[in-house]
Amino acid sequence: MTVHSPPAKSDRRRGIATPPVVFALVLVPFLVETVGVFYPAFQGVLLSFVKWNGLSAAEPIGLANYVQLTTDAVFIGALRNTAIWMVLFGGFSFLGGLAIALLFQAERRGVGIYRTVVFLPMVFSLVVTALIWNAVYQPTGILNETLRALGLDSWTRLWLGDPNTALYAIIVAALWRQIGYVMVLFLAGLKAIDPTLMEAARVDGASVWQRFRYVTLPQLRSVNLVVISILVIEALRSFDIVYAMTNGGPFRSSELLSTYMYSTAFTGRQLGYSSAIAVVIFVLALGVIISYLVRAFSESKED
Amino acid sequence: MTFRKRRFTLGTGLLAAVSLSLTGCLGTGGSPVTPPAEDADGPLSLQSRLADGDEAALQTVVDTFNSQGGGQVELNTVNNETFRAQLPSYLTSSNPPDVYTYYGGANLRDLADEGLLLDISDVWKDAPFSDGLRALSQDSSGNEVFVPTSYYWLGVYYKKSVWEASGAEVPTTWDEFLVANKALEANGVVPIGIGVSDAPWLASAWFDYLNLRVNGPQFHIDLLAGEDSFDSPEVEAVFDKWDEIQPYFDTSASGLSFPQAVTDFTQGRTGMFLAGSWLQFNLPAEELDDYDYFQFPIIDDSVPLGEEAPTDGFMASARTDQPNLAKEFLAYLASPEAQKVMYEANGSGTLIPANPNTETDLAPAASKGQAILEKADGLTQFFNRDSSDALQSTADQALTQYLVKSKATPLILSEWQAEAEKVRAAE
Repeated sequence: MTVHSPPAKSDRRRGIATPPVVFALVLVPFLVETVGVFYPAFQGVLLSFVKWNGLSAAEPIGLANYVQLTTDAVFIGALRNTAIWMVLFGGFSFLGGLAIALLFQAERRGVGIYRTVVFLPMVFSLVVTALIWNAVYQPTGILNETLRALGLDSWTRLWLGDPNTALYAIIVAALWRQIGYVMVLFLAGLKAIDPTLMEAARVDGASVWQRFRYVTLPQLRSVNLVVISILVIEALRSFDIVYAMTNGGPFRSSELLSTYMYSTAFTGRQLGYSSAIAVVIFVLALGVIISYLVRAFSESKED
Repeated sequence: MTFRKRRFTLGTGLLAAVSLSLTGCLGTGGSPVTPPAEDADGPLSLQSRLADGDEAALQTVVDTFNSQGGGQVELNTVNNETFRAQLPSYLTSSNPPDVYTYYGGANLRDLADEGLLLDISDVWKDAPFSDGLRALSQDSSGNEVFVPTSYYWLGVYYKKSVWEASGAEVPTTWDEFLVANKALEANGVVPIGIGVSDAPWLASAWFDYLNLRVNGPQFHIDLLAGEDSFDSPEVEAVFDKWDEIQPYFDTSASGLSFPQAVTDFTQGRTGMFLAGSWLQFNLPAEELDDYDYFQFPIIDDSVPLGEEAPTDGFMASARTDQPNLAKEFLAYLASPEAQKVMYEANGSGTLIPANPNTETDLAPAASKGQAILEKADGLTQFFNRDSSDALQSTADQALTQYLVKSKATPLILSEWQAEAEKVRAAE
């Protein structure tokens, strides 16, 4: 930091004590965070070591909740579903968003309309999205009726009522809403690429693929970081759309960690056990994001 | 290495300390509370989960109470799901809402046994309620903690015009019921409508009634209380009966939402719908005359007759700082005058006032329901009300699996029993 600043300035700065207002500015948000975030989070971790129904006194049981998780078939199913959700929802949002952004990046006539159309689902809340797609997936809904009209009767399904399709049906609904958002992030990233870089690559005779691989992608690195962090967090906190569409059913086949946590806490009244699930979600989110950030930063250091 | 080791011991030490201190910093329940003799100032807060007509009726009765000048009550309505999730927090907080809407039965008893509800035995001294309602309103040691204000019936709803077109006759026995199902099916109507994708608990109405008819109300109550098991021969007998009508259920039930299932029913695609009297709110108002309901058919005459009669009412927090006003308000809600006000303000005629002295003209549907319930040897509430929300969730899994026949019934039942045991162990 001092390397780039003129010496006189840095000398002067050393002499001045940090004004109290700076401490206040740091302290106030810190206190708000402590009361609103850190303390409840800490309490949540504590709760995962007790057995508590919310009514009677909590009973400390050590690691028993975590031990129980390892043999709980519903939890393992939810963990697997969350992994499927993260890969499919995250993967397709990323690839789909990037592909559409590349398609719509050039300023042609009417491209704004296309961008708007893709982005439009984002303005619906997830619960409204769930309502729309519920109607689509009903046994006599648009999807099955369309398939019948096309003579594909054998393809019709009880999309949300069949344990083999329920989770994927919800993922499609979630993607429908998410891709437009990711597209906007990538469009912003693409706009920020210096056009002269592309120009130079083209002059050097780089093919379309080479320009994408060696110019566009490396330039998008910082955007990728944002997009992937957002997608991982979104995937792990996905709750409302599943809750509204199937509530984890039929027979728990579309249960995610978040919906299972909710149902154990507020239907099962096992607050200790659900806190243990919450801790697992927290560790997963933190683990995935930190490992990605570490990799991303170590890569950028090599440059 | 040493560093790591030290961190580990530090970790376990911390864990132990945390475990020890937990009872102190969490879990406020369990300690008995003595309500103050003198009331604090201010209005009494009433936390309600009721909606639509019920909410309007409650507001009217609160206004009537307030206009009498004794004390003021403030109605605060929240969404049903929020109410359910937040109730333990309300009741264990140090400054809770005073009075709550609730329902009689096992859930109420659990709350009362935790010492969270105000003992209102004195309100009950001269109350004219039936012994059945009194039992529903008590904790385990026989103290009343609840005033019932109304109850409703469950019936098999049908659309007259659809049944006439199919030549189906309203059944009273199981054999007649099977005949009616066949007649509907022959006419291209799916006999039994149900949608369980968003409301899986609707399947429990079928389980409750089949169990009541096959094994009687006492077995049903015992089973839900955990004194018998879901893989017992008695429960298997229930599913043997269910197997006789399972083919008549809508095969798309598992992918159908409740509103969609009701639409199928009102449009005549399905022939009947087992539900509580609240189903009326979902039927088209202009053709209500075309709908009626019948008592769930009798399977075995020798089995004591059980009927579902979910009872709604009010309870107060043990931590209220205005116990006297709370009791005064609850006594008022229990009175025939207040129940008349509520029945009339509700206006739907889908409930029956709990106080037998209530002087009001019941709607035809309600007096029919009352007549059915009066003949019963035993009344039950509903699966979740007679057990717990957690046990309801195990029933939802088992029954939705049964409806689509995803596994052999004995396997479903043994898994159900295992889940139920797990839930009870966690309570």
